[in-house]
Amino acid sequence: MSKKPTVIMPNDIIDANSVEEKLKLLKDIKRSFNVFRVDCGSCNGCEIEIFAAITPMWDPERFGFKLVASPRHADILLCTGPLTRQMYYPLLRAYKATPDPKVVVAVGACGCTGGIFHDSYCVWSGIDSTIPVDVWIPGCPPHPASIIYGLATALGILDQKLKETINNADDGTPPFIQEPVLGTVLFERDVYMEAKRLMGYLFGKKLYEKFINAVKSSKDPKNIEFTKFAVLKAIENEEDSRYAECMALLFNNVYLKFVKKEKKVTPEEIITLGEGND
Amino acid sequence: MKLLDITKEIGTATYGYPFEPYEVHEGFRGKPEYTYDKCIGCAACAIACPPNAINVTYDKNEDKLKWEFDCGRCIFCGRCEEVCPTNAIALSKEYEMAVKFNKNDLLTKGYLEVVKCKKCNKPFTTKRLVNYTIERLEAAGKTVTDKIIENLHTCPECKKQTAVEKFVKTSHFGGTK
Repeated sequence: MSKKPTVIMPNDIIDANSVEEKLKLLKDIKRSFNVFRVDCGSCNGCEIEIFAAITPMWDPERFGFKLVASPRHADILLCTGPLTRQMYYPLLRAYKATPDPKVVVAVGACGCTGGIFHDSYCVWSGIDSTIPVDVWIPGCPPHPASIIYGLATALGILDQKLKETINNADDGTPPFIQEPVLGTVLFERDVYMEAKRLMGYLFGKKLYEKFINAVKSSKDPKNIEFTKFAVLKAIENEEDSRYAECMALLFNNVYLKFVKKEKKVTPEEIITLGEGND
Repeated sequence: MKLLDITKEIGTATYGYPFEPYEVHEGFRGKPEYTYDKCIGCAACAIACPPNAINVTYDKNEDKLKWEFDCGRCIFCGRCEEVCPTNAIALSKEYEMAVKFNKNDLLTKGYLEVVKCKKCNKPFTTKRLVNYTIERLEAAGKTVTDKIIENLHTCPECKKQTAVEKFVKTSHFGGTK
């Protein structure tokens, strides 16, 4: 793997692009901001979102953003992609062709740090490895609102929200474990695993909460009749039929196994859904 | 003039953002929110993370476990939320993540106390993970004996070593036992 060529930026470009000069430009500019978009080997996800962001739905021309076709007309460079080897010199040429002072915005996870391609042999990982970057917009791809927010932050319309957070106060106390419903956390574990298997991690979490709440609401969670009544009530109140069906499955497959260790399950105890509907 | 009438009927389609707040839709995957108090430092998220945005390493200077998340590298896939056993990390609806001038603002860090192996004195896990395991065992209805606690304070390498030593002493290898 060949070494990355060292960027020797001319001194006049560095002097003309100090933070003070840039802030002065943002303050004194009395016209629209012209944006030039450089694609440094992006997968085009970010391009699609950038074009979504300049449609009338978002309309950044309200506060003066105009896409231009040449870096010589631009004030802002929007750079996307992990900076492939092939795009190294074109990016430098676009940077040098932009009049000073210029604002460079890195869009997307790839533009910020290289993203998923960060350790690939054919990329230089991030726009800031080659040219100085002022604003980073994370996202894979960023939502149009994120892009508008990034551009507005660059102009100083909005304030930056994220700050570096360092947590350093650990005394070894483990996270709180909730009181087990049936006297053992193994029940909760099995319900959670089965819920994840049935509905995936996102909806499975909600299903788990709904089912555990239904079991908790029963008069005696260890009594099958009371719990069946409570779960049936929860199923009736459930608007989404997917949750209702999966709650019945959880009751039949997990709860009954836990309560009746070895004895066989009788048909009266099982919840069957959709009876008599057809 | 006909066009103006049509636009009047339809109204403004443009979102008011950034001058008024914008609501993202249900199920939007935004910035992963890290709850430090719930984290046990098991590093499941670091193993699951496809672009290595989450890194869990041992910090020699601080003598602590360092949990580090780089929002700039995150691809918002949600695998960390899927594998987290304590729900310490979950994707929020936060989409306003841009930073300017200082890239370090994208970082989130958490330092956790480590446990050192009783035999080789090397750090191998966190205090929180050991305590969490003990509490879970108790909640599962198991009695936690001294042997279990000692096992929890031994690193996997030393456990391997003792198992091999025990096995060598058996009669298969000419031992006395």
